[in-house]
Amino acid sequence: MEVNISKENQVVTAALVGRLDTPASQEIAPRIESLKNDAAGTIVLDCSQLNYISSSGLRIFLSLRKAASEKGGKVIVRNISNDIRSVFMMTGFLNLFEIQ
Amino acid sequence: MKNIETNKKSFLNRSAWAGLLLVLVAALTLEATSLIQYYYSKKGLVAEATKRAETQLEATRNRVMDVINQTESAVRNSIWIAQWCLDVPDSLSRVCQRIVEGNPVVVGSTVALMPGYSRRYPLYAPYVCQQADTIAIKTLATSEYDYPSQEWFVKPLETDRGYWSEPYVDEGGGEILMTTYSEPIKDKHGRQSAVITGDISLEWLADLTGHIDIYPNAICLMTSRTGQLMMNPAQDLALLQSVAERVEMFRSSEEFKQMQQAMLGGEYGNTVLSAGNVKWFTFYAPVERTGWSMCIVIPEDDIFGSFRKTDRNVKLLQVLGLLMLILILQALARSQIRFNRLNERREKMENELHIASEIQMSMVPKVFPPFPERHDLDIAADIVPAKEVGGDLYDYFIRDEKLFFCLGDVSGKGIPASLVMAVTRSMFRTISAHEDSPSAILSNLNNSLADMNETDMFVTFFLGVLNLSDGHLTYCNAGHNPPMILTDSILNLPVEANLPLGVLKGMDFVEQEIQLHYDDALFLYTDGLSEAENNAHEQFGVYRIEAALHGRKNAFDHLKNMQKHVNDFVGSAPQSDDLTMLFLHYLGDALAQEEHRITLDNKVSQISRLAGFMEEICESSGIGSSLAMSLNLAIEEAVTNVILYAYPNGTHGTVVITATKKDGSLEFIISDSGVPFDPTAAPEPDINASVQERPIGGLGIHLVRTIMDNVSYEYKNGRNILTLTKNI
Repeated sequence: MEVNISKENQVVTAALVGRLDTPASQEIAPRIESLKNDAAGTIVLDCSQLNYISSSGLRIFLSLRKAASEKGGKVIVRNISNDIRSVFMMTGFLNLFEIQ
Repeated sequence: MKNIETNKKSFLNRSAWAGLLLVLVAALTLEATSLIQYYYSKKGLVAEATKRAETQLEATRNRVMDVINQTESAVRNSIWIAQWCLDVPDSLSRVCQRIVEGNPVVVGSTVALMPGYSRRYPLYAPYVCQQADTIAIKTLATSEYDYPSQEWFVKPLETDRGYWSEPYVDEGGGEILMTTYSEPIKDKHGRQSAVITGDISLEWLADLTGHIDIYPNAICLMTSRTGQLMMNPAQDLALLQSVAERVEMFRSSEEFKQMQQAMLGGEYGNTVLSAGNVKWFTFYAPVERTGWSMCIVIPEDDIFGSFRKTDRNVKLLQVLGLLMLILILQALARSQIRFNRLNERREKMENELHIASEIQMSMVPKVFPPFPERHDLDIAADIVPAKEVGGDLYDYFIRDEKLFFCLGDVSGKGIPASLVMAVTRSMFRTISAHEDSPSAILSNLNNSLADMNETDMFVTFFLGVLNLSDGHLTYCNAGHNPPMILTDSILNLPVEANLPLGVLKGMDFVEQEIQLHYDDALFLYTDGLSEAENNAHEQFGVYRIEAALHGRKNAFDHLKNMQKHVNDFVGSAPQSDDLTMLFLHYLGDALAQEEHRITLDNKVSQISRLAGFMEEICESSGIGSSLAMSLNLAIEEAVTNVILYAYPNGTHGTVVITATKKDGSLEFIISDSGVPFDPTAAPEPDINASVQERPIGGLGIHLVRTIMDNVSYEYKNGRNILTLTKNI
């Protein structure tokens, strides 16, 4: 699992590559946590190369979303696959995120 | 066997020696006691003989002295009258007559004048004697007799005192033994002038001498002062001769001569004579004044004869006793040998029975686990024969993914039962080789057994056929006690009470079926278990069996555990019946065609392995990637839940995931031995809540529920078991 974070024009983009399963979630949690510093702005989670997500991953997404919500920022989930989209659907996450 | 032989021989030798020694000791003891007895008895008998002889001697002496005294008195008392009459010789016969008439013992008397004392008669000796009933007067003054030279006349005058003559046989008066007492007579001037005498017959001595009745062959002898034997010629001739012969025999003995000397010396005493190969006990005593001596001779045999006879009888009895002892010992030894032979035979028989038992035991499968390559089955069985060989049996084998198993109990015990058992077992194998239906197998078995059953033996029998691929069990019971089935609870397996095998030909056996699930088990047993009795004659009983079956162990441990329970219950009471058990633990997945399993440690990192496992399953099941991802997600959520929460922090635990492909569905079973937790009981999260209201957790189980078609939880045998099904 890789997380590639880049910053461009006040927009922080985190590209998630690989499977975001439980161990991977634990692994990347500190990196995502650091994104909360930019929660007032726009955070883009690039899921074009994310091929799996478990509830632990969803939890990370949610905690980031909560931080953005507190700070007036927003989290954009971009390029999710259909499989992950269905997971988002099952969990009601489609309503929580701006999906592009 | 060689050893036994040598032992037997050495035992025989030992017992023979012991017997010989015993007889020897008994003989020695008997001999010693009889010797002591002999010595004291002999001593007593000699003392008795001495006493009797001395009494006899005393009596005889008294008798003799009585006569002697009477005679001496009679003669002496007449001396003074005779003195008066010396001058008138014709009156002397009157004196003599007075003596004879006044004293019955005196048979004759004379007053003989010294030759030349009377001027008228140169010799004068009137003799008065008893003749028949009258008194006769004779004269001894004849020229043939010449009385002045006779001993009775000479001796008193020489010694000037009374004198007893040597006994002599009176030839004139009837051949009787006589003796004469004579006294000298002095005249008024003190000159020796005459001799006065009294004759006595010694006829009465015959009663006192010769044979006397103190012992059968005892004799009494009397000798005169010259050692002459005093015998009355008037006595019985044969008797006289026998006595004389005996005395003649004695004369050769040295001891007799010494005794004679002592007797002549007037001594008292006793001695033992050896003459004519016989010992003679002799006792002697003097008769005062007369110079005579008496002796009593008793042959040894008279004294010891009866005793010797008794002694001989005692010895005979002793010998008989010893013979009896030998015979008894021999009989004992023989019975010992017989006993040994019986023992040997019994040992041989027991040995053969033991071999038979071993053969019998080798017929039933005894290697556990019998199918080590199979994970879906754990089976163990055991027979504990009561004694010798028994009639219990069990058997099992796998054919075409089906387990054929049976357990039975032949009525009766011993070799006949075990033969029927062997036949039943072999027929079970033969028929089951091509027949799948339990009722068909039993019908076949029953017909064959009934055909050959001439001994009216029957077999209670339980037969099961377990389809290992799907847990479907078909079974048939022929009069056997119902097995126990262990699922969530422990129950008797419902069985039809069919007749036992071998009773009636053509019987139909009702077949039954039941579905076994993963972890279900069957326990089959014979009544040797349920009816095992303790010393108080209580039976082990079904409820104790049930109690011992609680908790899951492997099959072999279950049997050991049961055996321990029975042993503890029975204690020292003897086992009366064969005890046979079979424990079957089904570990296959119900309806499983194909089973996949993975075991993970309770670490989050293990989830990576689960992904590979899921990929494999989905691939082999032909499941598309989307569904595969969903299934993976659902299983991961369930497994993560276990890994994170089932075991207390820092403790190690595992989670087992099995996946089973069925017709139209995939079933996952996630089990762990952690704290009981039912994830299905968790409330549904509100997925429509706003960002702020959404809780961070609770999504996992929701995903599981959403993805899977069926979710069920149970806590069984210490395990959380979560079953997830997805229709495909």
